[in-house]
Amino acid sequence: MDRRSFVKNACLGSAALYFHQLSFGLPSDIANPQVPRIELRGLPQKPSPLGMPGLFPGRVVEISSPDAIVRNRVSQPLIKEMLDHGMKRLTGEISVQDAWAKFVDPKDIIGIKINPSGAPACCSSPEIVREIVAAVQSVGVPARNIIIYDRYAYEIDIGSYQALVPPEVKVVGIQDAFTGASGYDMNIYCDANFFGEWETRSYMASIVAHGVTKIINVPTMKDHSAAGVTGCLKNLGYGTFNNVARSHRQPYSFTDPLIGMMCSVEPLRSKAVLHIMDGMRLVWHGGPLTQVQDFIYPAGKMYIGTDPVAMDTIELKAIEEKRQQEGVPSVWEHDPSSITSNDYEFFHDPRKNLFYRRPGHIASAGKLGLGVADPAQIDHLRIS
Amino acid sequence: MTPTQGNTSSRTLANDWPTLLKDNQRTGGQQRVGVGAPKKVRWQMRLGTSIRSAPVFSNGLLYVTGIEGALFAIDTAIGRLKWKFEIEDQIHSTPSMWKNSVLFGSDKGKVYAVDAGSGSKLWEASATAEVWTSPVVAAGVVYFGSADARLYAIDAETGRQRWIQEFGGRIYSTAFVTPDRLYFGCGDGKVYCLEPASGKILWQTSTGNGIDSSPAVTPDTLLIGSEDFFFYALNPENGAVKWKYETGLGICSSPAVAEGAVIFGSKDGYLYALEISTGKLLWKAHMGGVVTAPPVVAGEVVCIQAGGTFAFDLSSGKELWRAGLGGAVQSAPVLSEGVMYVVSLDGEVYALQ
Repeated sequence: MDRRSFVKNACLGSAALYFHQLSFGLPSDIANPQVPRIELRGLPQKPSPLGMPGLFPGRVVEISSPDAIVRNRVSQPLIKEMLDHGMKRLTGEISVQDAWAKFVDPKDIIGIKINPSGAPACCSSPEIVREIVAAVQSVGVPARNIIIYDRYAYEIDIGSYQALVPPEVKVVGIQDAFTGASGYDMNIYCDANFFGEWETRSYMASIVAHGVTKIINVPTMKDHSAAGVTGCLKNLGYGTFNNVARSHRQPYSFTDPLIGMMCSVEPLRSKAVLHIMDGMRLVWHGGPLTQVQDFIYPAGKMYIGTDPVAMDTIELKAIEEKRQQEGVPSVWEHDPSSITSNDYEFFHDPRKNLFYRRPGHIASAGKLGLGVADPAQIDHLRIS
Repeated sequence: MTPTQGNTSSRTLANDWPTLLKDNQRTGGQQRVGVGAPKKVRWQMRLGTSIRSAPVFSNGLLYVTGIEGALFAIDTAIGRLKWKFEIEDQIHSTPSMWKNSVLFGSDKGKVYAVDAGSGSKLWEASATAEVWTSPVVAAGVVYFGSADARLYAIDAETGRQRWIQEFGGRIYSTAFVTPDRLYFGCGDGKVYCLEPASGKILWQTSTGNGIDSSPAVTPDTLLIGSEDFFFYALNPENGAVKWKYETGLGICSSPAVAEGAVIFGSKDGYLYALEISTGKLLWKAHMGGVVTAPPVVAGEVVCIQAGGTFAFDLSSGKELWRAGLGGAVQSAPVLSEGVMYVVSLDGEVYALQ
């Protein structure tokens, strides 16, 4: 985009932002190509106080129960208990309903952004989604105004979400295959040319831009071959914009800073009011798509907060600790000998990876004001 | 009680494949002649729409529903489109045949009856949420479940409503109908048995999670998988659990039955064959990926679609061949007169010989 286009967009009320050659990379980087100019265009609107980092910046409630997942099955009654306790602790409210009412109004159209990409081995648990639906209904939102969504319909199919959630709740896959832009708003986008790709724009899903008024984000707890980890930020950013796989080409990745930048685009930033991370299963290698149970640990945890950066910082720490425990390299490691282009080798050898991972995307999102990345400043509350 | 082929009319030919897994008994074919490794592609067609359902076959025509809202009738002799019936809605429902009509459901809750020869609409009926199940016809009545948690019975000639029964969860399980029983699984985790004439609930049996799989029924056993990781064998008379078998993840693959065995896939990536009378594992075969589609049986061969199309020996579970085409979530091959018809998630239709 040239200066003339920029001025025109600005006159039209564009919320375009420019990031170019910012120091998002790691000091220890091995020759990652320089971050190209990334242009963001969102809807012109005043940010909502509920939007990221939300009502409780820096606060993360971690709820643990060893019985919440037994023999790979998630306990519905324990999930309800964990969610109720966590919401009260996050908000300081005495009643569960009052806690939810801080985020949800009966007139809202609620989007529940799931992560089905590891289905069926590791995806947002239907048990958690059901309890969120019930809680949202308890505030007065009718089931027909609740939409469970993600980008890929076929992944939702594999997770059987359609069959497992209450009647009247809508279950929507934005697109049917890897291509197709009919479910996206062409006026809201991120534009960048990372590797010389022919389509340099990623567009925001219309359901996010116009279909829902609030978003409850339900990420899973997984390492990610390109981003380092996938948590609140990546589930939101890469689950809202299309054409995102172009941001990483072996062995390099621009997930840092793209993930955080996508999350900063309005109205996504304002609508994502609550994050409930499904930590029943912790994937410490092979994410986001692995089905290899050897690397999926039944952690039995749930994390709740409004600050996606703080939550992902805690998630990153937990995955790093698990990897250390298992004797495999850190997700920060950038050793050329660890890179493989063999998918089978990647999925079965936790010392191998497809890309130089970029967990720095979390700190980069913090720099954009999306939350608190400094562990020392995070109010990490634990409930057992 | 002896199950009958409620969906197949007197005009149905031996090689026809009029509903999900060939007939209401989910025999998945059970052709006497097995299916060898495909040697060539007789023809291939690109429909330009993702396909989530299984095709059906009758009178030389293959009927396929496309997600973007079309029912296609393909002349299998030449691999050309004969006609296309379009609606402004998405379609996930596997079509089924009754007399000269093709029936299917849509995501906005309509069920259509289309003339099988001409592609013109005969009638439509409405539910209040998506119909992903395949409509099943018995004794002139169409039965279908909907995500609105209701099961509908409508007149197959006119589309007029006979009765509606409400349940506790969404219905994605295609019903199995006999003259005096109707069985299906429900999102509330229960297997239901109804009286087809009235919709009255005769019995219900709970599993540990929602049910997405469609049942198969032999003369003395109802077979169905649940998202609670278990595969169940129930007494069709009273719903009592005869046995259950645990797999590594949820089961949404609908079972096929053959030679005293029931064959189904699990999301844990295995294809299982169990002895129907005991629940004993006969074999399991690793598929290398999630298995959500139903298998079909041809002679001594079990075929199933997952990341591609696979064939296993029915008695040993040994992999016989695999073809890197026909990747699908819920589709199943149709086998007729030595030809295998396969549709894929990305909208391709193949006739393999």
